[in-house]
Amino acid sequence: MAEVLFSRPDDDIMLSYLHYYSKELVKLSNELGHHTIDKEKEDANKKIVTSIILKQKPKLIMFNGHGSPEEICGHKKEVIISAKENAGILKGAIVYALSCASALTLGPKSVKEGATCFIGYDFDFALGKDRDSEASPKHDKLAHLFLKPSNTLFINLLNKKDVKNSVEKAKKEMQDNIDYLHTTDSIPDAIYYAPYLFSNRLGLISCGDSSASID
Amino acid sequence: MKEENKIIEDMKKEIALERLRQSPLTVNVSFGSDGKFMNRDELIEQVEKNTEFGKRIVNIQIEYLKAFKKGIIISSNG
Repeated sequence: MAEVLFSRPDDDIMLSYLHYYSKELVKLSNELGHHTIDKEKEDANKKIVTSIILKQKPKLIMFNGHGSPEEICGHKKEVIISAKENAGILKGAIVYALSCASALTLGPKSVKEGATCFIGYDFDFALGKDRDSEASPKHDKLAHLFLKPSNTLFINLLNKKDVKNSVEKAKKEMQDNIDYLHTTDSIPDAIYYAPYLFSNRLGLISCGDSSASID
Repeated sequence: MKEENKIIEDMKKEIALERLRQSPLTVNVSFGSDGKFMNRDELIEQVEKNTEFGKRIVNIQIEYLKAFKKGIIISSNG
């Protein structure tokens, strides 16, 4: 079984949604028998996360967090991985960054320095939110349409599917959800959110070996 | 050529703004770079001020319309 690392900060509203949705992934990873390391909230910091990567060399890593083309952040926007400083520590790993635009520069840089594959977004990851569900991500039907495809991607990776297949499944689900936003009456003003989910679909990319899996 | 590009960029911006103006005030979207959720008027402000973020919003709206034209996205009832 593989070593799987999660970095899951939770210090603002958007991150609380990502944190809530990734809980299911941590649980599944444990159930599948992977050696699962979950660094959440204030433990999703540079010192702890990079130390685990260097010592345990996880085969699969999921980063939630804010980001930029060159960086992935953790708790309180502390930079954990930077293209300029430490992209090389991802050597040998399949990385999924649910983080803004980090696939643009950090992705290729980390692959150049030895990461097996980097999956992420080459654009800002967008999240639509039902105003009435702020305190309760689990009741937010709109956010579900944005975040469930991301979970589908990582569930496939945990189940030893290859990167290409996992990304395709997520994109298909995003497309289905975009179509749903166009036609449903069950979510107020759903259609106005479709461009933002479309942007996520367009921006989801992988670089490196897309035939890789954790098998 | 530069003048032509500027005209095209201005047209894209106007199209994006018009689409945003048609949406309800309560539209509530966040982008992962800072985690702040924005409503319609805040999105419009970003576009009008030509911020980097506003330019990205224009790009999203234009790419979406292109996909719609190509039939990548199904026709709506809205």
